[in-house]
Amino acid sequence: MLTLLRDLRKLRRQIGLPAARRPGSLALRHVDCGSCNGCEHELTLVSGPTIDLARYGLGIVASPRHADVLLVTGPVTTRMHAALLTAYEAMPEPRRVAALGDCALGRGLLGTPTEVVGPVESVLPVDLRIAGCPPTPQDIAEALLQLIDSA
Amino acid sequence: MSTSVHTGDVYRETVAGALADGWRFASLHATTVADRPVIRTVLSSPEGDLRHEAVAASGGVVPTIVDLAAAAGWDEREAHDLAGVRFDGHEPLRPLVDHDVPLAQFATPVRGPDPYQIAVGPVHAGVIESGHFRFHVVGDLILHVDARLFYKHRGLERAAEGLPLADGLPVVTRACAGCWVTNAVAYAQACEDAFGLAPTRELARARTILLELERVWNTLNDIAAICAGVGLAAGTSRFAALVDDARTLNAHLTGHRFLFGSVRVGGSALDLDAAAVKEARARLERLRAESSRAWKSLLFNGSFMDRMPGIGVVDAEAVRTLGVVGVAARAAGVAEDVRATSPRLAYEGFEPALLRRRTGDVQARLEQRALELLPCLDILDALLATPLRPAAATAATVEKPIGIGRVESPRGATVCVVERDGGTVHRVRLRTGSYSNWPAVAFAAATNLLPDFPLINKSFELCYACADR
Repeated sequence: MLTLLRDLRKLRRQIGLPAARRPGSLALRHVDCGSCNGCEHELTLVSGPTIDLARYGLGIVASPRHADVLLVTGPVTTRMHAALLTAYEAMPEPRRVAALGDCALGRGLLGTPTEVVGPVESVLPVDLRIAGCPPTPQDIAEALLQLIDSA
Repeated sequence: MSTSVHTGDVYRETVAGALADGWRFASLHATTVADRPVIRTVLSSPEGDLRHEAVAASGGVVPTIVDLAAAAGWDEREAHDLAGVRFDGHEPLRPLVDHDVPLAQFATPVRGPDPYQIAVGPVHAGVIESGHFRFHVVGDLILHVDARLFYKHRGLERAAEGLPLADGLPVVTRACAGCWVTNAVAYAQACEDAFGLAPTRELARARTILLELERVWNTLNDIAAICAGVGLAAGTSRFAALVDDARTLNAHLTGHRFLFGSVRVGGSALDLDAAAVKEARARLERLRAESSRAWKSLLFNGSFMDRMPGIGVVDAEAVRTLGVVGVAARAAGVAEDVRATSPRLAYEGFEPALLRRRTGDVQARLEQRALELLPCLDILDALLATPLRPAAATAATVEKPIGIGRVESPRGATVCVVERDGGTVHRVRLRTGSYSNWPAVAFAAATNLLPDFPLINKSFELCYACADR
């Protein structure tokens, strides 16, 4: 166990993450609306030791009721449409919506038209667009920090 | 391989006879032959041979085989929901993909004085894919779970219909990032099988390298996920960093962290010179040293390891009955791995690794993954010994209207069936390791405590995207 903690500390020193100098924080809630799981895999690493978004006061919260930002992935399937709207309705205001990944942005959308509603912006007002298939953890982190900086 | 269509009685007899001869159920889907509805069942032998048997729907009805092979349960429910075929004898035929139904139709009735239901999802509390679980519990004790997936159904198979076979690959493989290479290779193999093509040694090597690169990051990711399920943040963090390293290596070799675009029908464009393979081997060696060191830390962490024995058991008998595949099957002592019977890939001499403690619980599934990581790195080290050049498949056998591919994904056997209409896709079916194993998650959870479900679920670490398509 001590080896594990020592290795993690060494890793942190090697990466040399810059000190977090941003005021404020953002609570994020993720809703998967039919992604290929690529965006989720990379979003998970944003909370990992190499980027550690929590340093900037950004964290994934368990309920949309605690969230400032809704991070939506996938092309919005017909079966997730209602759940997405419910999650959005549950958020306190002011609230922001981020479309994460090319599917959510409607770029190169694949699927049968009857099963897919369309890009996130056809359903909700989108404030932040994070392109990529999937966007890298670095891309996701930089985009989210912009959202703090622009607030 | 026959392409004739049986009547109901002959179909059932043929499938029952094949199962008695040691063949196993591999896949079932609804299709059409001359515009008439047909159900096609794929069977596999222990030696890796594949065959398919079709039955014509008479008045929209075919006989069920779910009493012969329980693993066909989801396939028949899906065929009913998507193609309207009814299965005589499959009672009750609960909806699977169809969501416009009342609760009583998809949930299993659980009656008695105390049971109540807990509904979870489709939106979960973490960064997790969407799906719904309905727990029937008494206190903290799980009696039964209804897993209701397909919230992510995008109709990818239908979207591929009518496309040239090569263009179907990006559509079908959009199913899943975690198993992109597996699904792509299975699709490419199915197309090449239909065209009578066989891979050259160089093409087989390219695909095997890609498949094992995918297995490396998935295995590290699965170990991180189990640490998260237990609540050991240090383990989750350490293995997450290793996952990042593995994906960075993927991007270095192919230009994409999940290896998207690295597989195509009929050939491979992957070109790795001497410097690239040398660098890859060095990085993989570093990954081996660091992951072994981290794994030892977990192994000797008593409070971590004590959390897992006896939880979420799927034993060998359940593996056979439910048609469980991959790590989950091997952790119960069932030595099955498609890599051992893959003449189209470069796995000569491969034998599945088994634990001494084959208990089929969460601990066994974790240890099985750790056990399989080293041989996987060995395979990569050997295959990356020389530079890799672009390669193409060559004509080998006769052309067929239907081709089948079968590949071992990080989650188990994945089958892809491609029915072609000349050079275009008539029907494609992708049945992934996740699809095979979801019923086992529900089975494993029963009689366990509700707070153990996340850990049990993580110990399978199945894709929702792969199952939903």
